Amino acid sequence: MSAAAGTLKYLTSSVGRKYIMAVTGLLWSGFVLSHMLGNLLIFVSAESYNRYAHALISNPLIYVAEAALVVTLALHAYNGISLWLRNQRTKPSQYAVAPTRVKGASLASKSMAYSGSIVLVFIILHLVTFKYGANYTAVYGGVEMRDLHRLVLEVFRVPAYVAWYFVCMVLVGVHLFHGFSSSFQTLGLNHPRYNGLLKAAGTFYGVVVAAGFIVQPLYVFFFAR
Amino acid sequence: MNLDSKIPSGPIEDKWTRHQFESKLVNPANRRKFEVIVVGTGLAGASASAALAELGYRVKTLCTHDSPRRAHSIAAQGGINASKNYQNDGDSVYRLFYDTIKGGDFRAREANVHRLAENSVKIIDHCAALGVPFAREYGGTLANRSFGGAQVSRTFYARGQTGQQLLLGAYSSMMRQVDAGRVNLLPRREMLELVVIDGKARGVIARNIETGEFETHVADAVVLCTGGYGNVFYLSTNAKNCNVTAAWRCYVKGAGFGNPCFTQIHPTCIPQSGDHQSKLTLMSESLRNDGRVWVPKARGDKRPPHQIPLEERDYYLERIYPSFGNLAPRDIASRAAKLQCDDGRGVGETGLAVYLDFADAIKRDSASTIAQRYGNLFQMYDKITGEDPYKTPMRIYPAVHYTMGGLWVDYNLMSTIPGLHVLGEANFSDHGANRLGASALMQGLSDGYFIIPTTIGNYFGSTSLPKVDSSHDAFKQALDDAKSRTQKMLAVKGSQTVDDIHRRIGKIMWDNCGMARNEDSLTRALAEIPKVRESFWSDVRVPGEGVALNQELEKAGRVADFIDLAELMCRDALERKESCGGHFRTEYQTEDNEALRDDANFCHAAVWEFAGTGKAVRNTEPLAFENVKLATRSYK
Amino acid sequence: MTASNATATGHKKNSRFKLHLKIWRQKGKNEAGGLVDYDVNDVNPDMSFLEMIDVLNQDLIKKGEEPVAFDHDCREGICGSCAMVINGNAHGPDTGTTTCQLHMRRFNDGETVVVEPFRAKAFPVLKDLVVDRSAFDRITAAGGYVSVNTGSAPDANAIPISKTIADVAMDAAACIGCGACVAACRNGSAMLFVSAKVSQLSLLPQGKAEREERVSRMVWQMDEEDFGSCTNMGSCAGACPKEISLEHIARLNREYLRATVLKKDRQASDSGNG
Repeated sequence: MSAAAGTLKYLTSSVGRKYIMAVTGLLWSGFVLSHMLGNLLIFVSAESYNRYAHALISNPLIYVAEAALVVTLALHAYNGISLWLRNQRTKPSQYAVAPTRVKGASLASKSMAYSGSIVLVFIILHLVTFKYGANYTAVYGGVEMRDLHRLVLEVFRVPAYVAWYFVCMVLVGVHLFHGFSSSFQTLGLNHPRYNGLLKAAGTFYGVVVAAGFIVQPLYVFFFAR
Repeated sequence: MNLDSKIPSGPIEDKWTRHQFESKLVNPANRRKFEVIVVGTGLAGASASAALAELGYRVKTLCTHDSPRRAHSIAAQGGINASKNYQNDGDSVYRLFYDTIKGGDFRAREANVHRLAENSVKIIDHCAALGVPFAREYGGTLANRSFGGAQVSRTFYARGQTGQQLLLGAYSSMMRQVDAGRVNLLPRREMLELVVIDGKARGVIARNIETGEFETHVADAVVLCTGGYGNVFYLSTNAKNCNVTAAWRCYVKGAGFGNPCFTQIHPTCIPQSGDHQSKLTLMSESLRNDGRVWVPKARGDKRPPHQIPLEERDYYLERIYPSFGNLAPRDIASRAAKLQCDDGRGVGETGLAVYLDFADAIKRDSASTIAQRYGNLFQMYDKITGEDPYKTPMRIYPAVHYTMGGLWVDYNLMSTIPGLHVLGEANFSDHGANRLGASALMQGLSDGYFIIPTTIGNYFGSTSLPKVDSSHDAFKQALDDAKSRTQKMLAVKGSQTVDDIHRRIGKIMWDNCGMARNEDSLTRALAEIPKVRESFWSDVRVPGEGVALNQELEKAGRVADFIDLAELMCRDALERKESCGGHFRTEYQTEDNEALRDDANFCHAAVWEFAGTGKAVRNTEPLAFENVKLATRSYK
Repeated sequence: MTASNATATGHKKNSRFKLHLKIWRQKGKNEAGGLVDYDVNDVNPDMSFLEMIDVLNQDLIKKGEEPVAFDHDCREGICGSCAMVINGNAHGPDTGTTTCQLHMRRFNDGETVVVEPFRAKAFPVLKDLVVDRSAFDRITAAGGYVSVNTGSAPDANAIPISKTIADVAMDAAACIGCGACVAACRNGSAMLFVSAKVSQLSLLPQGKAEREERVSRMVWQMDEEDFGSCTNMGSCAGACPKEISLEHIARLNREYLRATVLKKDRQASDSGNG
């Protein structure tokens, strides 16, 4: 068999698919963190917020980055859904009584498919709202650029959108809470001495990212009218 | 009955090597023409299946469990002996041979035992190569411990789960052959008949336990690895599915049954807690390395153990056997416990138990050291009794554990039916009247890995085996026999459950043919057993149907054979008018209550020949001791 | 510990009590099943759970009904035969315990206990509480061994193995193949079972020669048997009567990653030579 076909055979097993989940998941974990940090510039000023956004989108490498994000997200979602479908089939019926002794199965770990699916819908809507939303412009130091700050202020004035955004960001946090540390287990990085640390890091990561995203709409809604 | 043991001539050290050389070989290309049926997948069966398939024979392996990995070898805890002398404490092949002969109270064949001791070394090498995680020293070498009745440290172990690890090793090598297509594995099959054509074993009839259908399996040789028959006592440390049926059907077809009365009572088991008891649990004998056995000096002393002061305790094993102390051989330790309890000094509610106390060891070595050595055993004890052995002494009592008797085999491990080979606990060969601790695992693997591959080749090379198939009359007859026996049991529709009857026969055996027997008790049992048989065949209730998964039907067939076996055991015990090893006749004992052998009249194996239900003919195979001088065992 | 459980439920020695059972009854492989109610009135706290079922079965037989079929054998927690889900927990309420080691002092007078078979797509029910776990054997046949022929081994002390490594290998090797990990997993995944063998053999020098081929073949066979995938929830380790840890699953993941990179499976090396 050819090398590529060989690799594919490894990567399409239940373990191989999990590697893909873990690697793409970790990439996205990094992306959401940086995205969140960028968002926080809203607390600095409209100008720095817009300049930062402009610096990102005017860089030619943005196309590579965007393509990578789309591909990894697609791989993550595809493998996540196909594994989830498989697992629906392999566990045909539930027990009459709920277990009382199950260790480690947190609500977050049990609901990855659901939190993931909602977040996927969110991402798409999020792109529609912002990336392909109203194209206001602003000029700083003679350079014309997109005025995203204004768009953000407009969007987050709508209570329903703030609520939806709030819920989704909590789900992102929950998804990260299990996903981040779980990725290391999937990639074989597990050591009794560091497991507690990894778990704590996962929790911290989930909380920080979710909180960081949530403060922006709350700030806008309550203080930036 | 022809009982030619076929022991090779020459000095004992050279017999096996010479025999291997003199045995006929089968050309590698011809081996695939021979099909071997292996019945059972314990240490003997799994290792034999693997080793024969590796040579190129076509192997068909049957087991009653849902998976071959569940055979009862898995429950052996303590360890496996090998004369490696890694500890530099003076061990050697000859010493292991000597200890085994002496431990067996001079009722085993010298040549077989010497071969066992030789193979012991290779077993450890092979098992380590298979990835068995034996206990290790910090330097990376293998660890050893001393074990019941040995003064050298020659026991290799894997925590308290040595049997499990060795079995999983053998199982894995067999599964490798399943993968290679050389072993056809048939789980959930119970052998119900042996098929003999022209005087040779040519196949078996089995029942598919899952579907209830009967199957015929044709072969060129049959290798029986079906374990011991301790469950005849109902309560024993054997697993619930251990049974004598396969061996008994072979006996009925003409295979000689050697020394059926030789049963081993293990000294360290958890005492019975009530009538509901379904089996007994063994606590590894290794516990006796650190635990001290005692009873109160006063009869009927019901104080909790920690309230009994030191001077009011009797550490009777240390007192009576100062040089072996708590490590006295199994039969001696068991009988000593029984004597204490019969004398009214037993402990616990029933008074049928003695203490095994770790307080001194914990004081000496710390609780964590003891936990490292026996943690899983302590936990097991705690789970069963609800008592914590770190704080209160264990209560232990002897229980039936192993049967030294079994189908008679010659040096080639072949029974009196040509082509029927018998390995492991199912045969009678290597342990005489008492088995030493950590020797059962050794024998199972020696037979399977290292003996049968040579001797089965010798059989094929020296026998003509015309082609037969399942349309042969002998197969039809055997199939009819098996079916009609099953039908008969289902048709009784009486009032007693199979367990009721099993309990009854078990009690008769424990009371009359257990740790101590005598003419009276045995005669009484022989009068009772036919009544039990009668009530089985006229009043048993087997619910359900034949062509389906029916566990009561499985049990019924086994109990029917246990009843017949019980009779043979009592008869054998009655005829052996001496005491030796596990066979203790109260009429024959020394002043110190030790076994008194009669070498002039009983230095032989008794081999029974079937002569109709309830009838049997006693034959003998004389035992010659050319290397080890016949002596009275002394462990004082 | 069990000792404290015994006092917590407050049973006195030999005090009998009553239990209400709901047991899964199913006549055959392709038939429908359901929970059936039974009362056991004479439960002794010193009985094991299986002995309690024995008592029920004797009763059923005497009443002319079919006894409950269940797999069991050694009844001391090592053969891995017994397999019941008791009140939703594989092997019952205690950690590190098989069904046969569970004793009735753990239950209260008048309690309702629901008993079901291990459930998973890969473990079809054959009758009542008996399931077919032969998929485990097929996974083992796919590589759960060291390929060494009888007679060819070097002296056992020729290859030293550090005690630490041998101990971890033994932790993994303690698996009894009962299938509780699969029964407890929401996905019906066999990862803990497979990882126990992969981990044991990849740790020991004897098993290293064919480690890539072993892990990949075993994983592929596992997938073929219709076991689910691992979502790192840890229910398996919580249910395992031998308390085998998730670190072995991580080791399997590492081994498989290694195999993915090196691609030394049998097919690849055969075609490489061809």
